[in-house]
Amino acid sequence: MTSEISLAPVPRAVPATRRSSSGVPPTVLLSFLAVLVVVLWSLLPGLFTSYSPVVGDTAAKLDAPSAAHWFGTDYLGRDLYARVVYGTASSVSSALVAVLIGLVVGGAIGLASGFRGGWVDTVLGRFVDVLLAIPGFLLAVVIVSSLGFQTINAAIATGVTAVAVFARLMRAEVVRVRSAAFVEASYLEGGSRLHVLLRHILPNAYRSVLVLAVLQFGTSILVIASLAFLGYGDPPPASDWGLLVASGKTYPTAPWLVYAPALVIVITVLSVNRISRWLRKVK
Amino acid sequence: MTLQWKDNDVPGTNDAEALLEVAGLCVAYGRNSVVNDVGFILERGESLALIGESGSGKSTIAKAVLRLLPHDQATVNGSVHLGGRDVLALPEKEFRPLRGRSLGYIPQDPGSALNPVRTIGSQAQEAAALLGTGDADTRRSGILDVFKEVGLPDPARVYESYPHQLSGGMLQRVLIGLTVLPRPALIVADEPTSALDVTVQKLILDMLSEFRRDLDISLLLITHDLAIAAERADSLVVLKDGALQESGPSRQVFASPATEYARNLHADVPALNPDRYRHHRLASALQPPAAVVPQIQVQGVSKRYSAGGKDTLAVDGVSFTVERGSTHALVGESGSGKTTAVRLLLGLEQPDGGGITVGGEAVHGRSRDSLRSVRRHLQLVYQNPFTSLDPTWRVSRIVGEPLDQFRVGDKADRAGRVREALESVGLTAEFLSRRPADLSGGQRQRVAIARALVMRPDVVVLDEPTSALDVSVQAGILELLTRLQGELGLTYLFVSHDLALVRQIADTVSVLRRGKVVEDGPVEQIFSQPQHPYTRTLLDAIPRVSSPELQGTPTLPQLAKATR
Amino acid sequence: MTSQYKRYALTRAAQAIAVVLLAYVLTFLVISVLPGDSITNSLRDPQHGLSEEEIQRIVAFYGLDKPVLVQLALSLGRFLTGELGFSLQSNLPVAQLIGDALPSTLGLAASALVIAVVLAVAIAYGAHYLPGKWAAVLRSIPALFLSVPNFVIGLVLIELFAFRLHSFTTTDPNSAAATLFAAITLAIPVSAPLAEVLIASLDHESRQDYALVARSRGLNEASLFVRHLVKPSALPTVTMVALIVGELLGGAVITETTFGRDGLGTVVQKAVTGEDQPVLQAAVALSAIVFVAVNLIADLVSPLVDPRVKVRTEVHA
Repeated sequence: MTSEISLAPVPRAVPATRRSSSGVPPTVLLSFLAVLVVVLWSLLPGLFTSYSPVVGDTAAKLDAPSAAHWFGTDYLGRDLYARVVYGTASSVSSALVAVLIGLVVGGAIGLASGFRGGWVDTVLGRFVDVLLAIPGFLLAVVIVSSLGFQTINAAIATGVTAVAVFARLMRAEVVRVRSAAFVEASYLEGGSRLHVLLRHILPNAYRSVLVLAVLQFGTSILVIASLAFLGYGDPPPASDWGLLVASGKTYPTAPWLVYAPALVIVITVLSVNRISRWLRKVK
Repeated sequence: MTLQWKDNDVPGTNDAEALLEVAGLCVAYGRNSVVNDVGFILERGESLALIGESGSGKSTIAKAVLRLLPHDQATVNGSVHLGGRDVLALPEKEFRPLRGRSLGYIPQDPGSALNPVRTIGSQAQEAAALLGTGDADTRRSGILDVFKEVGLPDPARVYESYPHQLSGGMLQRVLIGLTVLPRPALIVADEPTSALDVTVQKLILDMLSEFRRDLDISLLLITHDLAIAAERADSLVVLKDGALQESGPSRQVFASPATEYARNLHADVPALNPDRYRHHRLASALQPPAAVVPQIQVQGVSKRYSAGGKDTLAVDGVSFTVERGSTHALVGESGSGKTTAVRLLLGLEQPDGGGITVGGEAVHGRSRDSLRSVRRHLQLVYQNPFTSLDPTWRVSRIVGEPLDQFRVGDKADRAGRVREALESVGLTAEFLSRRPADLSGGQRQRVAIARALVMRPDVVVLDEPTSALDVSVQAGILELLTRLQGELGLTYLFVSHDLALVRQIADTVSVLRRGKVVEDGPVEQIFSQPQHPYTRTLLDAIPRVSSPELQGTPTLPQLAKATR
Repeated sequence: MTSQYKRYALTRAAQAIAVVLLAYVLTFLVISVLPGDSITNSLRDPQHGLSEEEIQRIVAFYGLDKPVLVQLALSLGRFLTGELGFSLQSNLPVAQLIGDALPSTLGLAASALVIAVVLAVAIAYGAHYLPGKWAAVLRSIPALFLSVPNFVIGLVLIELFAFRLHSFTTTDPNSAAATLFAAITLAIPVSAPLAEVLIASLDHESRQDYALVARSRGLNEASLFVRHLVKPSALPTVTMVALIVGELLGGAVITETTFGRDGLGTVVQKAVTGEDQPVLQAAVALSAIVFVAVNLIADLVSPLVDPRVKVRTEVHA
């Protein structure tokens, strides 16, 4: 579930700097709206539901979705919608942590590798090869089992599996920019290596990496949800989305316990992917 | 000619009709009109050239004639009659057999026109099988025959090769061979030589002329080069922005162009106007040599590269000197070592032997830091302005970068000098806040020149500064360069593959071939009395046209015959 | 076979072996050096029910009283001789545990791979050749497939086909029908990147000059597809298929759990919850070997599929 394979080769347009402000496709607007809702859920869950995510009404257990309980209730009579809303913060922030780890560590490796070249490139390239050789999800499982079953550790593990993807892309971008004539021109005009790196290479290389980061955010939500589904995240009463699906599947008579949190995951990831694709084109 | 394929004439036609008649042709991509009401007639056995710069719609017209435009994106209106039949109205099923048999197509870049993962032979077999004659063995011998006819040295080896194993010139021969295989009535050639070296260009064009004469194949030639068009075509159609500017017999359009655009186009072609920039250059040439020491001295420089276990001498004992205030040209085709020579001069690479001085200071064997002082006075203008300017920077910052790096003056000083440099290349202050993406190719190259001038250098190295630009834009840049040289007393080292261009702007020239100087001297001397056969070949490749304005330029015998 | 190709093949194979060994080292370090329960602590965990004598034997076998680097050397030495040690949970040889589980997982992964390739080719062909509206729908499918968690697909299929339509029963997860649905579950997310690469490649190749020139000779679209577009698109597809194997092995952990199947994934899951480090170490090493081997094959096949691929022997993979 690492996403090195979801980066289909995209023809790179001449880097145009003026982007059209109008003409955002409606699906992208909807995606932004969905992401906005998710962000608000995680920041201000209390605004969206009056139910408590941990205290339930045992008289109303396993109720189907209704006007009172949009997503129905679970075996303790807790409102599932409230559990989803309150589980957002942990699900989203852990995905952010994962992306940050991948971006910072992978970006640094790719930058050093592509800019410095030579033996640094060889050594770091080997390291990335080794990271890639262990199937991503297995690596995440091993790391989280070593660190201990907590959501934050799942996030760290997911981030480590993303390092290789970021490193590869950053290196490719840096190598592409480094061979451009304007970089040589800058050296000829007396530019130092640091000047060239900070002023020419990074500004030209960061965009694709940023698009990957957005895409990777969606992928991380999936990976962390999968780890939570296997029970490698925070234990109940935490209500991470993956954990909600996992505990819901024991009640085949109440399928909404699976479908509601699953739908939230799908819509969130789909929206993030749509935005990432749009950014890739607009660039 | 021993082509055994049956003469595939345009079916159901009579000789009274013109072979190709295009009328009121309009092509649009969505709301964006790229060809607007264009019409012309091509008679049997004749040749016609569509001339225009980028964006003129000439290639679109060629593809419209062949019905190769993407039908879900392009809307085509008007009529294209081939031997009296309107091909635009034909159903695809009836039109498809015409393609290839009656209509041949030769693309611009032979390097990408063959499937890279299949052998030449399998693709030739496929083309021959579409003609529906013979079995695989007879087809193979027919293919080998035609390969021999287009001058491929070892047809059997070519047959077994993959495209990437052959040179551009050879690939273009393969494509021409496959195109003439069915003996079509008409060949559409879309800039067939612009991706090739100059000496190869001439051979390919000669071959197309020959086929036209001997096999009676008409030619629709698409080109940006007025000189080539006038030399090779019976009639010319001049296009601009998708609209017809002027058309008629070549001699007429060429000798007395009726429209301003055609006149300018004529004036901008280097081969036709050797003395165009003479007035600027005389001013600079009149100045007495200011110093005893030449501005640039290159002595016996060599550079060796090893690739794949093989050593190649990219530059082999090259020497030349350039006097202050003059222009020296390095001329050569791809692989001649001219680019390596420039990199050595700029200190981007170190020579294995020999010495280089600029303004009396040695460039070779110096550290990075000590090179800075030399580079202040030594600037470079790159070939491709689309890659030499950082797309994320604004023009003010691009032009000011050298000043910032060398810490010249204070902020106000630098801003002033940036504006001054921009002004000197003919760009107003409103360009300061633009980014490269907002500029045209010519404007970008002007920005690059401004960046080179802002340090007030003594020497500017111009590495094919106009080869990525249209002729009219090229003329503007050359005009600018010669004017600046006269005003600022600059010394130019001008790298080019185009001798016609060199004749226009250089004082002295070194002809390079495979890393060696084969001939050097004043431009006039090289052009009037070339000593080395290679120089003569290069000179022969310059298109010549029988024009009253150019006395003493010989007429090609083929041209006379072709226009009988 | 040129001697140049032989040298290329040998270098690639040597690199692959080096990568597997380094991956083993990395896994070992992650398992033993990262904070959390160390193997010695977990030995004393009453859930293993080991006697003091057995513990001493295990400590001596793994060199647990020695520094980590010595343990690593011991472990790597045993790995190289094919000796994988014993499970802490069941005391069975690790090789036997994994050997029992492997066929089921490989079968599942292979079926999923076939389904994914068929699905991807169908999507890509449709996206490229169907008229506008349908093509647009097909082009958006990979994005959807990429957004659905593996376990959700599995649960939906179980709900629909096992509980409602009774196409298979969850009580017999190894039946052919259950295996088919598990394979579909595993295949769907994996088919998405494959379809994307195929679509991009078809779009790219059909825009090339050579496609235009072939059309100008009178070739129709169907022949163009078969003779010209399939082969150049095959190379990126082969590379992608090789990469996908990693996804399949990782996805098997979740799919097997969802469907209650026995296999490598379940072994891994049990090893994780039971802190059975030798089993975990071996399972990960085996996955890395499978993944690296498949990619090695792809690397060796590429120059034969596409003559442009330079047979280079430089360091970068």
